[in-house]
Amino acid sequence: MSDALRYEWARIRTIRSTWWLTGSALAVALLISVLLGWVGHHDFSRNGASAEDVEGLGPFLVTQFAASGQIPSLVGFLVAMIGIFAWGHEYRHGMIRASLTALNSRPALWTAKYVVVALWVAVVSLVAMLMSGLIGLVYLHRWVTVFDSQTWSVIGWQMLSTVLLTWLAMAFTALTRSQAFALVVIFLWPLLIESLFNLFFVLVPGLRGHQDVLRFLPFASQRRMVDVLTDATSTFGEPLSAVGGAVVFGGVTVVLMAASYALFARRDA
Amino acid sequence: MALIEARGLAKAYDGKPAVRDLSFEVRPGSVTGFLGPNGAGKSTTMRLMLQLDNGAGSTTFDGQPFSALRQPMRHVGALLEAKPFHPTRKARNHLRMLAAANGIPTSRVDEVLRLVGLTDVAGKKPKTFSMGMGQRLGLAGALLGDPHTLILDEPANGLDPQGIQWMRQFLKALAGEGRSVFVSSHLLSEMALLADELVVIGRGRMISSGPVSSFIDGASHKSVLVHTPQADELRALLGGREGVTAQPGADGEVVVTGLDAREVGDLAFDHRIRLHVLAPQTATLEEAFLAATEGDEEFQAAVVPHPERPNGWGAP
Repeated sequence: MSDALRYEWARIRTIRSTWWLTGSALAVALLISVLLGWVGHHDFSRNGASAEDVEGLGPFLVTQFAASGQIPSLVGFLVAMIGIFAWGHEYRHGMIRASLTALNSRPALWTAKYVVVALWVAVVSLVAMLMSGLIGLVYLHRWVTVFDSQTWSVIGWQMLSTVLLTWLAMAFTALTRSQAFALVVIFLWPLLIESLFNLFFVLVPGLRGHQDVLRFLPFASQRRMVDVLTDATSTFGEPLSAVGGAVVFGGVTVVLMAASYALFARRDA
Repeated sequence: MALIEARGLAKAYDGKPAVRDLSFEVRPGSVTGFLGPNGAGKSTTMRLMLQLDNGAGSTTFDGQPFSALRQPMRHVGALLEAKPFHPTRKARNHLRMLAAANGIPTSRVDEVLRLVGLTDVAGKKPKTFSMGMGQRLGLAGALLGDPHTLILDEPANGLDPQGIQWMRQFLKALAGEGRSVFVSSHLLSEMALLADELVVIGRGRMISSGPVSSFIDGASHKSVLVHTPQADELRALLGGREGVTAQPGADGEVVVTGLDAREVGDLAFDHRIRLHVLAPQTATLEEAFLAATEGDEEFQAAVVPHPERPNGWGAP
């Protein structure tokens, strides 16, 4: 297993896409937090800040608005692409045979990929959030305590959410052996497919009374992990709690990972 | 030094057999060529040997299957793809990554780059490499662990004549050190110079396995070429003997089959027939291969006659 971890560690550091995706994620975090900090500073300086104005501002800052529960984390999607490439490059460039002749244990290679990529994206995600928080602190320290207990809690949930998203993207890539297909699906699923579900449940009369089941859609559940604006009454109630969101989204991820492992273990390289 | 033993290798795709019950051995200290027409199952066989594909049968390296080898690159070096690397990962980094998986010191990376002649491009991305340079990098990867066994699928593809000659000398030298080298190739003339032993397959079935000389002897008819001013007398003398043919050649010579050169020479002497040239003719590996695999090609092209040359492309 240690050989596989060393291999994956070398692999992830020696490929250009890892660095430009990491750089892009940090740049996006920097840009959004500077923008939010500057706008907030400008507005609060003129009009002052009410308690309502600064509610959830720390989590908003560190997650680039993902803590609003309305949009997915752009940083999360960028670093998840590192996971897509972890499997995608193996199949797109015929590396899988070289990998499996260098490492003759499929379980070890499979596990090492998920572990190393998870560590990488967790660290990048944490750095992006800390950097965003510090920028927010510089601009808004007069009106808001950015790093309060709620923010630290959201940072933890956001790291978990990003790792799960990355694993889901990796599992999907390993299943389809197509990074292009995985890239399309991983963006269309939350942005289009789940929105279409929402639309169907509004437009189709027979479904209107059952809109509460939509809370179990994977990416709707993922957003609940960091949503600080809507309080949950129970773990799996409407809406889901952060734990409920993690269980649903994590469950989908684990199922896809298990399927990807079953196929990887038995199909031809 | 490892003996490779393949036993009962078999694989089918959608019910269509690609490899059928192949068993052979590759001995240490020899280069064993792996020959077969396109689609014969050579690459599939190599992948089965390394447990990359699922199928029947087993392959052992000194008694151990590939999956049981600890740090496998130290035992078996493999080159299975024309360009088995990411196009933007620098050559040295590609090898460092493979080395990391097998506890191989990074100093060995520069060593193998020097061995294959890629030191000058070690820091470059392989997307700029020619096919031949890609093959060299692949070979460097195979050699990284200083393995006792090499399994190489068409390693000479894309190499220029100098590169092919270098590859031949290199592989022979490795075999000379006692390693087992198993190499497939379509370049039959090259294989004739390189291989000590052959495994020949067609449509996934074993056709022949053994020394190159036995394969050539077994798959072809020897003949003797005779130049004589008394060609008619010689043909008349030999033509009446059972199992012997004496056919006129294109330039007035006689091509004799069924007798060796010594027997032809003795008979001619006994009957006072003057000989100018008496040359045993041995089939080339290519001729032996074509004879052995006749009808075993996966894809057979039709001969399309030219409208003005209905007999083909010969003399009008």
